Amino acid sequence: MSLLTVENLRVTFDTETGPVQAVRGVSFSLGRERLGIVGESGSGKTMTGRSVLRLIRPPGRIEADRMEFDGQDLMRIPETGMRALRGRRIAMVMQDPKFSLNPVMRVGEQLTEGLRRRDRLGRAEAVRKALAALEAVQIRDPERVMQAYPHELSGGMGQRVMIAMMLIPEPDLLIADEPTSALDVTVQAEVLQILDTLVRDRGMGLIFVSHDLRLVARFCDRVLVMYRGRIVEELPARELMAARHPYTRGLLNCLPRIGGARGPLPVLDRSGDWADD
Amino acid sequence: MTDRPAIEIDRLDVTFAAKGRAVRAVQGVSLAVARRESFGLVGESGSGKSTILRAICGLAPVSGGAIRLGGDPLPARRGKDFSTRVQMVFQDPYASLHPRHTIDRTLSEPLAIHGIGDTDARVVRALQDVGLPAAFRFRYPHQLSGGQRQRVAIARALMLNPQILLLDEPTSALDASVQAEVLNLLTRLREERGLTFLMVSHDLAVIDHMCDRILVMQHGRAVEEIAHADLAAGRMQTDYARSLFAASADRMLS
Repeated sequence: MSLLTVENLRVTFDTETGPVQAVRGVSFSLGRERLGIVGESGSGKTMTGRSVLRLIRPPGRIEADRMEFDGQDLMRIPETGMRALRGRRIAMVMQDPKFSLNPVMRVGEQLTEGLRRRDRLGRAEAVRKALAALEAVQIRDPERVMQAYPHELSGGMGQRVMIAMMLIPEPDLLIADEPTSALDVTVQAEVLQILDTLVRDRGMGLIFVSHDLRLVARFCDRVLVMYRGRIVEELPARELMAARHPYTRGLLNCLPRIGGARGPLPVLDRSGDWADD
Repeated sequence: MTDRPAIEIDRLDVTFAAKGRAVRAVQGVSLAVARRESFGLVGESGSGKSTILRAICGLAPVSGGAIRLGGDPLPARRGKDFSTRVQMVFQDPYASLHPRHTIDRTLSEPLAIHGIGDTDARVVRALQDVGLPAAFRFRYPHQLSGGQRQRVAIARALMLNPQILLLDEPTSALDASVQAEVLNLLTRLREERGLTFLMVSHDLAVIDHMCDRILVMQHGRAVEEIAHADLAAGRMQTDYARSLFAASADRMLS
């Protein structure tokens, strides 16, 4: 049975110059698997992820023929019901630790806040769990990180703190929006390993939003390629590098390769039929 | 003077004081970049690669070693002479441009500081050089896309005609399609102006495409220097460099 079903999702922003459609009829379903969403900035991949949590603020609005999570109609349940889902059942790791962590609160307090308030744990128990969560994301010096403010951490450390925070309540569905773009390759591999273990051992569903095609090809089970609010191609991740769609091919060809020619890199040609409305 | 390296770094130490604890971000790193060379720094986050660029600009607490440009030691306060020779392009084009200054003001400020006239023509030419229409002068950063902003950041860095560009992850915030455009732009500008690049990236494929030599760093120390041909062929001496290379296997030409 699928964990999440989305049919004909549309996200519209009403602006002074008329409505702007950021997502234009996206449909997909997700089981306990790793689903990648790739595309350039502005393709609507982040908006698709945020819509699942109904985290689109006015003037933006979400419409869908159907959006169901584990038997619950996400379009119908009241805001209080949504709040019970967010974090606990569906969690989201945001793109940028600089803007997503509270800058004036120590990391330790941010990590234990949920445990103390939501799960009503005592201080010592909450700290123990938070330390374990930091260790699980391969932070070498968790005691120091607990005492640090977000600005004292590097981007990679901040990103791992956010992942640790989201994984503490053991959600069923994790929406990860560019969770590793701030990380270097070696740390990236470790973080992906952590996410992978969670999908496999706990049967968590994962929506992995990224602009890095190679990463998605290697890591996910299935991939949606988005362009200007639409899914232009859906395919198994292992076939992504051999994609047929001219847009996907164009994106792949732009990437420099180790040992490749030093001449100018090919740039994306947007003159094809697929680029029209 | 001409055969002295453009940038020489000799056993550089950078130490930050954090809550009474000394954090040694860079420990005894030496490197030399020849004129017109493109040199890459790679390593995991926290390895000290960006700190080296900041140390050159006088933005990091250097606690030992020396930095020389064209053989001359740098003055403690970097001053105007330094900014006509060295400029930096930062990773995040959303944070490195003043949000309430027009592009025109961002680009003309270095000219005003250095008392250089002919502002109008220079700003228009700078925009042309990075492939932006002249009308962009009167826009604000929030009216531009990420790639356009990074082009403005490059144009700003080139306003004073420096010989050396320090590039801190110049394309890691950009989409693949835009990254290709910005890398092509940097390559063209380097050829046209004979620039020297010192470039930081965590993407080995980008470094391979752009640099003649690379230095692998870990925990603030230099691990291994690799020539461009050896990188592509996978010829490394140290386990760490090999693991970095192995983690980038999907970026290989296949």
